[in-house]
Amino acid sequence: MVNINALGIIFPNTYDELVPQLVKHRTMASVPFGGRYRMIDFTLSGMVNAGIQSVTVIAKKNYRSLMDHLGAGREWDLVRKRGGLNIIPPYAQSSVKVYHGRVEALASVLGYLETQKEKYVVITDCNTASTLDYADLVDTHVKSGANVTLVYERAEIPKPLQTENYTFEINPEGRVTEIRCNDYRRGVQNLSMGVIVMDREELIAMIKDASVQNKVLLERDIFGPSLKILDVRGYEYRGYRAHIYDVKSYFDENMRLLDPENLAQLFPAERPVYTKVRDEAPVRYAMDCKVRNSSVADGCIIEGEVENCVLFRGVKICKGAKVKNCVLMQGTVVESDASMEYIVTDKNVTITLGKHLRGNDAFPVFVEKDTIV
Amino acid sequence: MKECIAMLLAGGQGSRLYALTKKLAKPAVPFGGKYRIIDFPLSNCVNSGIDTVGILTQYQPLLLNEYIGNGQPWDLDRLYGGVHVLPPYQKATGSDWYKGTANAIYQNINFIERYDPEYVLILSGDHIYKMDYAKMLDFHKEKGADCTIAVLEVPWEEASRFGIMTADENNVITKFEEKPKEPKSNLASMGIYIFTWDKLRKYLTEDEADKTSSNDFGKNIIPNMLKDQQRMVAYPFEGYWKDVGTIDSLWDANMDLLNPNSSLDIWDPEWKIYSRTSGRPGHYISNNAHVDNAMMTEGCLVDGNVANSVLFTGVTVKRDAVVESSILMPGAVVEEGAEVYYSIIAENVVVKKGAVVGARPESVEEKSKWGIAVVGEGVTIGENAKVGPKAMLEKDVQDGEILW
Repeated sequence: MVNINALGIIFPNTYDELVPQLVKHRTMASVPFGGRYRMIDFTLSGMVNAGIQSVTVIAKKNYRSLMDHLGAGREWDLVRKRGGLNIIPPYAQSSVKVYHGRVEALASVLGYLETQKEKYVVITDCNTASTLDYADLVDTHVKSGANVTLVYERAEIPKPLQTENYTFEINPEGRVTEIRCNDYRRGVQNLSMGVIVMDREELIAMIKDASVQNKVLLERDIFGPSLKILDVRGYEYRGYRAHIYDVKSYFDENMRLLDPENLAQLFPAERPVYTKVRDEAPVRYAMDCKVRNSSVADGCIIEGEVENCVLFRGVKICKGAKVKNCVLMQGTVVESDASMEYIVTDKNVTITLGKHLRGNDAFPVFVEKDTIV
Repeated sequence: MKECIAMLLAGGQGSRLYALTKKLAKPAVPFGGKYRIIDFPLSNCVNSGIDTVGILTQYQPLLLNEYIGNGQPWDLDRLYGGVHVLPPYQKATGSDWYKGTANAIYQNINFIERYDPEYVLILSGDHIYKMDYAKMLDFHKEKGADCTIAVLEVPWEEASRFGIMTADENNVITKFEEKPKEPKSNLASMGIYIFTWDKLRKYLTEDEADKTSSNDFGKNIIPNMLKDQQRMVAYPFEGYWKDVGTIDSLWDANMDLLNPNSSLDIWDPEWKIYSRTSGRPGHYISNNAHVDNAMMTEGCLVDGNVANSVLFTGVTVKRDAVVESSILMPGAVVEEGAEVYYSIIAENVVVKKGAVVGARPESVEEKSKWGIAVVGEGVTIGENAKVGPKAMLEKDVQDGEILW
């Protein structure tokens, strides 16, 4: 692998409003996912595995958990003398305020963008966990000679996303001929994954022009109206992806990882997903515990019964407790003789002795962080 | 200047672990699901506030060097101090391998003096225990000792296997005997020493000048200091401690982690054991799996039956396979219908379909023929092959071959 000449830019807060329960204490980027990861781990690891050595995270709000998770970026090998991880909170400079839309956000860091050395930028959100090959993406962009490359997947538009999406019309040459905003058509569409590749200096010029004209969104206000003069191409992603847009999809996407084939696809051995190391001990399965079809992260102690569950780090299932079809985040404790079905718990929830909680497959119940039931 | 630095003796071959230490030094042997033996003394150091550690390596250091790296997983990447791997090196006057434990320290006097320490803690890389060295150092200072040796009460019948201390009511050591036939005490040395550095330097230098010496702490330095009536005290330790230098003790110590009554607690958030991690996702237990009394970690896939066993990172147990009372080191694969009993399976071993390794003690009539079976790193056990108890495999076994 050769390092690629691109700067990563990550927006951690996009789509926060779709999952208000999950982001009460965090950003979309720091939503825990897949047992021991946060959503941003997939993006960051993908970039690092592709040889991107400089990544900027432009935070908007509620970013304490994100800062805590990322630290200096060591776990992603992003503590670098040149580049590395760079987190920009709001009010980072006296002129920088809380942004609306990517144009304003990028306008607030123009000075920073201008001093960077990388020729290209890769811009992305954090609501999708995928194995997108950023190296191939940038390579394809460069070879095509396009101004902008947009990543999409062939997928139906999930209902909660009908008020928040882009779809693309793409001609046989791969050129985007139309960008639709908040598309609600049925059937499989070219649904945007929110990833953009373009020339850094072109981006700077566009942002300068756009902010003068009060434009807010890159796709809608800048690329969309200029498709005749701008060469905008589509790049189809065909790999595995987990897409979070409400509590139900959060539950379902975690559950999908209980299929070893899906697990192997999202975590290919040659491209590891890095995350913050917590130095938890291995999982302890006590005598007479029962475990079936479950994914369990380190630090858990299992004495009771677990079936069809995703257990994050440090979950404890006490003797006589039964959990079925649950996603239990870090530090959840289920005390003796309690039982749960179709429940999503946020961090450090305790279900006390003998309590019973039940949702159903169409409506998994969400229990907020630090709740004692 | 540092008040106390640690020197960790990690050069031993660990020849009694046979196949397991063919390609790696004993301190690098995997232990307890996601650790290597050396994680215990290193984590103890950092948890005790000791941030400068020299690791003396000699035998098969490649993996150990890579594993330690810059010491970051143990929080031992420091601007001043931190962890340093110290192999033997060439000097203007020639070069020597480390001749013994004391000689290894002697050859690194320059390293120690860079930190100008008052005290030096000597550790070894083959014990599993959790210990607050800061408390031991307080004890050393309180007693005004020149040397403090951590001791553990062992059952009298086992005392003759250890270095045994006799101490008076003030913990002052009056006698030291290496593996005595008729022990006068049951206080065993744990191989953990704190020396006042000035004293240790003097005795190391004298010992080096003595051509008849075997340059060993237990055989030379400690007896010499005792003979000269230096102030030596025994620091009584209570808690879990195990020398994992043999196949049986390594197996036992892993099994202790599965014993709810064992005092070895690695889940204590106040005294974490750190290690270099794999970065794999949580492990997956399928619908067909049966797991009972086991420990496992990231990246494992279990589709078969696992009982009383410790599974390391990335172990695969396929459908209808049986793993019982065994230790499966990183990357080991047990294929469909294969059976593994009372075994230690080293890294990246493949036990092919229908093969059998080891046996339950009750299924072997002659007690002397039963023991833990060991399969060395990277070995493949062919389909339907049979490998008996007490085996020590370093080479592949062909399909259908019977080694019983």
